Amino acid sequence: MLRQFCWMLMVMVVMHRCADFAELLSAELLPAETPVEQAIDHYIQLQLDTKQKQPASLADESTLIRRTTLDLAGRIATLSEAQAYVAATETDKRSKLIERLMASPDFAYHFRNSLEGLLSDGQRNSPGEWREYLLKAIREHRPWDQMFREMMTGNEEDVAIKPALTFLRSRARDLDQLTNDTSSLFFGVNVSCAKCHDHPLVDDWKQEHYFGMSSFFQRIYLTKTNLVAEKFSGEVKYKTTKGEEKLARIMFLTGTVVEPPAVAKTPEQIKEENDAVHRQTQDDKAGPPPKPDFSPRAKLVELALQADQNHFFARNAVNRIWALYFGRGLVHPLDQMHSANPSTHPELLDWLSRDLVAHQYDLQRLIRGIVSSQAYGRSSVWDSAGDPPGPEQFGLALVRPLSSRQYSLSLRLASLNPDTMTATSAPEWVNRRDEFERNSDDLANQFEVPGENFQISVDEALLFNNSARMWDEFVRDDGGMLIGSLKQKADQSAQIETAFWAILGRAAMPAERSACEDFLTQKAANPVLGLRQFVWSLLASPELRFNH
Amino acid sequence: MARNDLPNRNLSQHDVSRRGFLGSAALAGAASFAANMRVLDALQTPTLAAELKRQQKSVILLWLAGGASQLETWDPKPGRITGGPFRAISTDIPSVQISELLPKMAQRMKTTAIIRSLNTRNGDHGGGTILMETGRAKEAAVDYPDLGALIARELGRADSQVPDYVSLYSETEGRHKGGAGFLGARYAPMFLSDSMIPPNIRRLDSISETDHTDRAAFQRLLAKQFQDRHPRSVVSSHGMAYERVRGLMSSETLFDVSQEPQSARDFYGPTQFQEQCLIARRLVEAGVPFVKVARAWWDSHGQNFETHRELCADLDQGMSALLDDLGQRGLLENTLVLTFGEFGRTPQINPSLGRDHFANAWSASLSGCGIKGGAVYGKTDADGHTVVEGEAKAGDLFATIFSAVGIDPTKEYQVGARPIPIVDFGCKAIPEILA
Repeated sequence: MLRQFCWMLMVMVVMHRCADFAELLSAELLPAETPVEQAIDHYIQLQLDTKQKQPASLADESTLIRRTTLDLAGRIATLSEAQAYVAATETDKRSKLIERLMASPDFAYHFRNSLEGLLSDGQRNSPGEWREYLLKAIREHRPWDQMFREMMTGNEEDVAIKPALTFLRSRARDLDQLTNDTSSLFFGVNVSCAKCHDHPLVDDWKQEHYFGMSSFFQRIYLTKTNLVAEKFSGEVKYKTTKGEEKLARIMFLTGTVVEPPAVAKTPEQIKEENDAVHRQTQDDKAGPPPKPDFSPRAKLVELALQADQNHFFARNAVNRIWALYFGRGLVHPLDQMHSANPSTHPELLDWLSRDLVAHQYDLQRLIRGIVSSQAYGRSSVWDSAGDPPGPEQFGLALVRPLSSRQYSLSLRLASLNPDTMTATSAPEWVNRRDEFERNSDDLANQFEVPGENFQISVDEALLFNNSARMWDEFVRDDGGMLIGSLKQKADQSAQIETAFWAILGRAAMPAERSACEDFLTQKAANPVLGLRQFVWSLLASPELRFNH
Repeated sequence: MARNDLPNRNLSQHDVSRRGFLGSAALAGAASFAANMRVLDALQTPTLAAELKRQQKSVILLWLAGGASQLETWDPKPGRITGGPFRAISTDIPSVQISELLPKMAQRMKTTAIIRSLNTRNGDHGGGTILMETGRAKEAAVDYPDLGALIARELGRADSQVPDYVSLYSETEGRHKGGAGFLGARYAPMFLSDSMIPPNIRRLDSISETDHTDRAAFQRLLAKQFQDRHPRSVVSSHGMAYERVRGLMSSETLFDVSQEPQSARDFYGPTQFQEQCLIARRLVEAGVPFVKVARAWWDSHGQNFETHRELCADLDQGMSALLDDLGQRGLLENTLVLTFGEFGRTPQINPSLGRDHFANAWSASLSGCGIKGGAVYGKTDADGHTVVEGEAKAGDLFATIFSAVGIDPTKEYQVGARPIPIVDFGCKAIPEILA
């Protein structure tokens, strides 16, 4: 029993106790000036060679533009985008595509949605001001360390920064959640397992690490007006498995301890401070909450970004961004960054982390490098002899379910008349995108949020099959819709071709074309209904449901 | 007729029997689905017979949302300061008395066991609901499945034609969908909240039956190319979800009480809860392994006694009719019927004649499958403030439920790097109330 119990408690080990992260790494890694995508491909190939595995061939062009557009713009490519890309003959068209997408308004929306999903850990309905904050920060190219600082210590009186505190605000009533989510989402370390007892196998990982981390948050409270504030005092006490009661030290994951300043206070001062805090929690007219001189959460930010301590923060950022685009982390699961669960590509993780720190935590630089790599562009289909490389080798693209919002947006886009969707590069596209974004909310909420063990729900299949909404909103036949455009086509073959490009972003294969012709001919008695059924069948296809 | 029809697709209502729930295809389906959800315990290799036996079983949870008073139901304290105005009455088990608000159940205790010693400690609606739905406290790092999803996972069939987890929750108070957590959306509830018919189970009038089936076949045909080139479990879950649509649509009639003779409807009674009890029986009879019927709102901070007079009458009638009907149909030996909510209510009566949230000493009932009828487990003190004998946690209740329907309560799931036991650590079944 005890063994099982301990097994479950996969706990991280303190990784490096070194002077300077960058210094340690520089010796054996590729030169810092190597382009990011080349570093990625170098290390991925090295690993494949070691394991004597061949990677899959590169994905075909229509798959590549679809994948890249879904990942950078959060939607499928339009018919004109897809066809133009495939037809283009420039040798640098892939990098041009990446530059175009990263400069488009779509990028900020989608990356915002990705960060929102990541930071809310699967919960929906985050406040509008939080979504606005993230969008603005991304548009301004704000570095990740600065965003972290704003989320942890932002000033409630600064209207532009206040929404950043949503991260703390939404968790302030639950110290465990504050501790776990911060450790996991910003440092890649799930500390919850060290709450009940020390790690049985690794000597340097103790309960004091869990309670050390929660000590950074223990003084946080919400005022009556829902502001995030900090108390003047407060310690975490915990019981060891032997029943001994201990006072936690404020301790970061690296083992570095923060000593609160020893300030002698009179009992009157202490009472006054406590009363002030109490008033804040009871009275909505108590004014701005007092700011104690010593702020543990500010210490956390300071420590976590310090050159000799920032490897947790940097590696986690790399790993989570990597996973967004590859479907799994260089360390997997993402919250299990510890020595018992090493990275499959330690040098690559080191190189990318060093690069991230050296470039002021510029996530967009990292993203650009990732999507420009050969590894990112691999096919998801294995048609060579022998077994494919394992998912941890990144030699075969993983099939990733679309996020609920990507799916909702893509369904909407696919169902519209493609002739009306040609201005995705024009300046006014931002308004259109904004409208799409808002209109996609409601449908997006009907889809499950992808996570571990994700499966498509039968509710989703029933929604497609029998809801008036799918049928009336997405498979209408008026002029603004895809079917409206299909009705104007000269023949079946043109209809089939247009529908395939608009929905799946590719040409129909011969067998598909003949199956579609059969179907449309069979339904010829009511051709519009036939077209609607045909379009429905493509919209409901798994090929649209996944990024592949 | 559709092309590319799979076997067993053309299902008439007549075929939807619980016996049709069995068969080797069922086992193969369940096993393949279990592939990425590895059962660790090597000792637990069920024999075919045990598997078949397990698969016929069902659970109906009558969820008392808001928290019913144990003193007005299963653990009365007549004559005590905490006792309130109602009497305790004798039952068909000489040693057992329950509240006079449940006179019909008092005549059916031979089928029912009571746990009077739940101490679940969490008296908050949100936290208590999660605790009693999942059998463990909320944990930041793991998204635990609820009881319905666990039962669906263990007793359901991967390619089932009927839903395997139905949740009926009419009132808005305390409405909570629950969910499949780490088990994945395959085991999420079919959730009925606004209507007695599940959402999107009925074909739109604007689409003919032929068009609907033709379209499904055509969709399947087009999907095949992608599925074949991407043999991944997440992709096949898409196909499986769409495969289940026609079967689920044919189960629509199960939700229609008008299919029952008037005599049966009269037997259950006219209230929504009583009708839902009848629907629960129809579902279980068709092979649905888990049905939750939620009745709200028991949260009687004021006027506790009036509230319980009304709600207990509804519960007493619906539950006793359900047990009788299941018994007459020979289904009770394979169907476990439960009552509990997120917590009980305080023994002390507040100035508004209400009882407040109370999780330290409260009761649950278990009837039918695998249960020793008439058994009472645990004891509270004379006024009902504390458990004095046989303290039970939420996980103990869950372990007992699993044992009663033949699920090994020591089973584990593998979630990422962690093996997660099906019931919380340190919890075990209560043998005293198991048959």
